[in-house]
Amino acid sequence: MSDLNVMQNRDMKKVSAQQKVVKIIVKIMLYAFLITMGIIVLFPFYWMIISSLKTMDEYRLAIPTLIPQYFDFRNYVDVFTSKDLILGRLFLNTLYVGVVSTALSLVITVLSAFAFARLEFKGKDALFALLLATMMIPGELFTITNYQTVNTFGWMKTYTVLIVPFLVSIFYIYLLKQNFMQVPNELYLAAKVDGTSDIKYLWKVMIPLALPTIISITILKMMGSWNSYMWPRLVANDDAHRLITNGLRTAFTDASGVTDIPVQMAAVAVVSTPLFLVFIFLRKYIMKGVSRSGIKG
Amino acid sequence: MTESKQNVFQWFVEVFCKQWVWQKFCVNLVYKKFDKWKGWLYLSPALVLLAIFTIWPIFNTIRMSLLEGYTTMKAVNGQSFAFGIGNFTRVLKYPGFITCLKNTVLLCVLTVPISTFLALLIAVCLNSIKFLNRFLQTVFFLPYVTNSIAIGMVFAAMFNMIIGGSVRPDSVGIVNNVLEALGFNYVNWVNAGSEYWANIVVMTVYIVWNALPFKILILLGGLQSVNKQYYEAAKVDGTSRARTFWRITVPLLSPMLAYVIITGFIGGFKEYSSIVGIFGESMGPVGDAYALDTMVGFIYRAIGNQEGTASAAAIILFFIIFAVTMVNLYVSKKKTHY
Amino acid sequence: MKVELQNLTKIFPSRNKKENSEVIAVNNFTFEIPDGKLVGLLGPSGCGKSTTLYMISGLQKPTSGKIFFGDEDVTELTPENRGIGLVFQNYALYPHMTVKQNILFPLQNLKGEDKMDKETMLKRAYEAAKLVQIDELMDRKPSELSGGQQQRVAIARALVKMPRVLLLDEPLSNLDARLRLQTREEIRRIQRETGITTVFVTHDQEEAMSISDVIVVMKLGVVQQVGKPQEVYDNPTNLFVAKFLGTPPINVFDGEVKGGKLYLGESAVLDVPGVDDRAVYVGIRPEGFVPAEDGVLEANLSNVEVMGRDVSIVSTHSASLNPVVRSIVDADYKIDRASETVKLNLKPHKVFLFDKETEERIYFEVN
Repeated sequence: MSDLNVMQNRDMKKVSAQQKVVKIIVKIMLYAFLITMGIIVLFPFYWMIISSLKTMDEYRLAIPTLIPQYFDFRNYVDVFTSKDLILGRLFLNTLYVGVVSTALSLVITVLSAFAFARLEFKGKDALFALLLATMMIPGELFTITNYQTVNTFGWMKTYTVLIVPFLVSIFYIYLLKQNFMQVPNELYLAAKVDGTSDIKYLWKVMIPLALPTIISITILKMMGSWNSYMWPRLVANDDAHRLITNGLRTAFTDASGVTDIPVQMAAVAVVSTPLFLVFIFLRKYIMKGVSRSGIKG
Repeated sequence: MTESKQNVFQWFVEVFCKQWVWQKFCVNLVYKKFDKWKGWLYLSPALVLLAIFTIWPIFNTIRMSLLEGYTTMKAVNGQSFAFGIGNFTRVLKYPGFITCLKNTVLLCVLTVPISTFLALLIAVCLNSIKFLNRFLQTVFFLPYVTNSIAIGMVFAAMFNMIIGGSVRPDSVGIVNNVLEALGFNYVNWVNAGSEYWANIVVMTVYIVWNALPFKILILLGGLQSVNKQYYEAAKVDGTSRARTFWRITVPLLSPMLAYVIITGFIGGFKEYSSIVGIFGESMGPVGDAYALDTMVGFIYRAIGNQEGTASAAAIILFFIIFAVTMVNLYVSKKKTHY
Repeated sequence: MKVELQNLTKIFPSRNKKENSEVIAVNNFTFEIPDGKLVGLLGPSGCGKSTTLYMISGLQKPTSGKIFFGDEDVTELTPENRGIGLVFQNYALYPHMTVKQNILFPLQNLKGEDKMDKETMLKRAYEAAKLVQIDELMDRKPSELSGGQQQRVAIARALVKMPRVLLLDEPLSNLDARLRLQTREEIRRIQRETGITTVFVTHDQEEAMSISDVIVVMKLGVVQQVGKPQEVYDNPTNLFVAKFLGTPPINVFDGEVKGGKLYLGESAVLDVPGVDDRAVYVGIRPEGFVPAEDGVLEANLSNVEVMGRDVSIVSTHSASLNPVVRSIVDADYKIDRASETVKLNLKPHKVFLFDKETEERIYFEVN
């Protein structure tokens, strides 16, 4: 090998001092960047909250106040008493649709995932591949025909129309199937030899083992109902069945397009609160579910 | 099979099988026969719903797209339609659709690279700190659990001017306040008379803000699964930070990057509710409705009155997404390393 | 390059915040690695040997103590400024680069006056590759190589910038048995050819004994013994070292010294002049037994395993702390398998006495 020795003859003291300075500068830059980005990310939430506590007059100030002059909760009173937005009704509608569709969807997902993961039947793999392939198709393509279908069924302006068409999510089936497959097949065979029924096996073994995934699916599905906008607006945008997001978008804007922003911000804050609560308490499950998905809600 | 019959059958199986040394084999065999229909039974609720709301729409939408000028209304009245590709040619010639296509592509091309690069930068920085790590992770994930319409309204408020004064508006919005503080002129971002580029900037900011958490989460997960020894090896070799980033981090992360970019494009081509969040149903500033309309917006407005057109547009959207995904996959196969 | 460790200590803070239990990974390690030698750090898992290696590399900072390369204090230096080569346990070859790119990588990092032109870098890379005999494989990716080949690439990558010290972390643990034998000879050869001071970590005593110039036996962060492999084997300073080195392992008995004689059970087996009367642990190497008609130690014979060159006599004895007493003798000795007992004499220099409390060695004169 060559006799050149690149590592020798350094001024060790100088190098040691230098690398310390560089390290500190890099650390400072890292934190400066992250904290700046963090502030940018959080600012809309901050702005939403302080705006909701301002009077319209304060909001109109040429130089805005970063902290309200005094905390005015009247906007929140307005939100709950508004004739424009019957918040209680919207909440209940959304909650009802969310809970029922999540519960039904879970049953269907668990059964299907179990069938794909554990049972042997002809055409299983082909069927699963076919279903996965449909995930490529944008949902709007289905919506056009589904709109006709639910019309034919006479489901317009009912809760059914908000629940049934989206009960099956191939993605959730896929997610749970992967999870089920990790349970050793010997457990299933042993249960069969012992005469355990499928349902009992599913309930006692599979579901407890896959619980984190099932919780993730539950949360994501609930959030999906809370945030759904397009389909509900198409098929059930009447006062009795309207969901929260639809109600929110059009409220507090008069015919000429002028918006009472502080009240609107208060409404947005109220609608966002449940999501934040879910986030705070169940962050782990949401992040786990999301990191395996690509689909919001 | 009735219950009693099944009991008899099970009894038979048990008694019969116990006679044999190969009991286990026998039980398996019999249950395999059951499984032939049991699998389908378990799948039946899902399959029925999928048949109605997923499989049938595929065929029906293709059918409608190929029947010229198809509308449900006329179909119910018994009218028949000529077979042909008229819907497609009409859609592609329609100026409104071209606007939609232009907006969608523009937003995709702007937001996907910006958000991916920012997310990568944030993820790499997050991965290299300890203090405040979990807190900052939570902060960066927060926008994910929001309602894109609701927070869109907050963004709209931040960019919104309140007209009232004679010389300048009463309030120019917090974003303009910041701009003025930095020595720039204020801009009409979203109000009546605002310019197209300003609207696009607002949309880009909002969509990037919305897209960051998912991308950061995926990339951070990828980074954490990278074997730490690669970085230790690089450190021992005296690799500079920039070189470590481009020569080690990016290549090792390339599968996640590809995933994030592909899902970013797919989501980008379906952009709709973020625009409704900021501009409302009119999909544009007051006085210039539909200036920011998108493909999905176009399809939704055609539902219920022009199904043929909507179907054609949806199929075009499908092919665009399909093509973009294929190109992405092809490129990423060449660029990702294992 | 001589490497000197002075009172090196590494304390890991406890993971559990409530309990204030820290882990002392390395405790007050002082040792000088002579220039150009191959040193094996040996010990069971969790003994602090890897931590020591990582502190020499600079990837971990010592809690206290100093590290010198030659006369330079490198304790505060980051790894890249120390001029070391490190081979990781699972090699850490970049999966997206070819062998050539992997070996070139460290050279491309050099800055300033050290910077090389492309030709030189390539020449160096091929020299390093030739040294470890992988110059045929330069355009393959790591995933297309066998474990042994990956190992060689990792060594070439560590050697290509001519490090002052080469560090190997469990270099053989990911290889199968046959490759292990071959590779350890290879490491020995490469070290001899380059003359680079080399430190490697292993939990396999056979591996350490066979190629090291010096071995360091560690236990729970404390150095037990340092020396040439044969010296350490022949002259362990405590019971742990005696038990850790050697296959089959040393036989340990409960014994007693009375009037200058060592008793195992009832029978006096050896003169141990200069040792006070006391209870002791007695370690006897398997090769320390000689079958004889008038043997002093009578054990119950349970099995005789013939292994060609040697015969292994498996027996039991009431004073033995191991389930069986295993002795290895030359195949010339004919052992009667049907016999109930076997009589053995002892080779005095294969017998070690240890204190019952401290487990430290008690020396006696061998005549």
